[in-house]
Amino acid sequence: MDEFPPAPNVAGVSLDGSKVFIISAAENAALCRSTGIEPAADGSAHPIYYYIATQVAMGKTVAGVCETCEFDVADGPMMGSSGVSFRGPLMVGESYKVTGEILSLVRKQSRKLGVMDVLTYRLRLHPADGGDAILETDNVWVLPRKELAA
Amino acid sequence: MNYQVGDALPPFVIECVSPEAMKQWAVFLADPNPIHLDVEVVKAMGLGDRVINQGPINVAYMMNMLMAAFPTGRIETMNSRFLDNVYAGEKVTARGTITAIDGARISCEFQLDVDGGSTVNSGTATVLIG
Repeated sequence: MDEFPPAPNVAGVSLDGSKVFIISAAENAALCRSTGIEPAADGSAHPIYYYIATQVAMGKTVAGVCETCEFDVADGPMMGSSGVSFRGPLMVGESYKVTGEILSLVRKQSRKLGVMDVLTYRLRLHPADGGDAILETDNVWVLPRKELAA
Repeated sequence: MNYQVGDALPPFVIECVSPEAMKQWAVFLADPNPIHLDVEVVKAMGLGDRVINQGPINVAYMMNMLMAAFPTGRIETMNSRFLDNVYAGEKVTARGTITAIDGARISCEFQLDVDGGSTVNSGTATVLIG
């Protein structure tokens, strides 16, 4: 890896959001049906809102996160993995806010993708009126560095 | 219900991945990435000849499989790896197996397969049974 410049030093960059995210009943119903199921009758939202709510209400857009990593979103970031730990269900009609940060950006070389940066960031979803996070998620994206290809 | 380590979970099948759902999800995710919306962009990027399902939709299919398998439970943790793309029109099946039981906590491994193709997502989860 000595022949490549290091990845930008972005660990610790805040992804705290200022938006309030509310899971609407109508959107939850449409989302559930788009995945082949009916919405729950007990007021809980589809758990995939862990990803949606944190992405939409974090402090940067997807393009903004890429820009922080000195990567053009048009070059095609790819999802590598996503993990989540829930402390309770997400509820329709509840208001949530996001805190989080970039954990690391590591430059690697892959036989399939060439030079790439592996971005790991952590987001937490809290009740909008304060309190402990109801979930924490770590996402890993792969940012192919075409400009560094041999 | 009586669960046992090694039990296969009932599969969850999507007969035909919908490009209309991708349009909805572009709004849900506030992410208008054209590889999910415009086949010409997909072709230009050399990624295939059909629009590509958003990764979180694939996770949702696997969650649906877990929720159907454990109707009194809730997902406590879930980790999934994205191995390949799912394209519009494909049939996909989410499958899982129980790997451990610790009181009310059931551990599973799961995967999402494209019909006639490869595994496109895989991972592990724990479910708390109520």
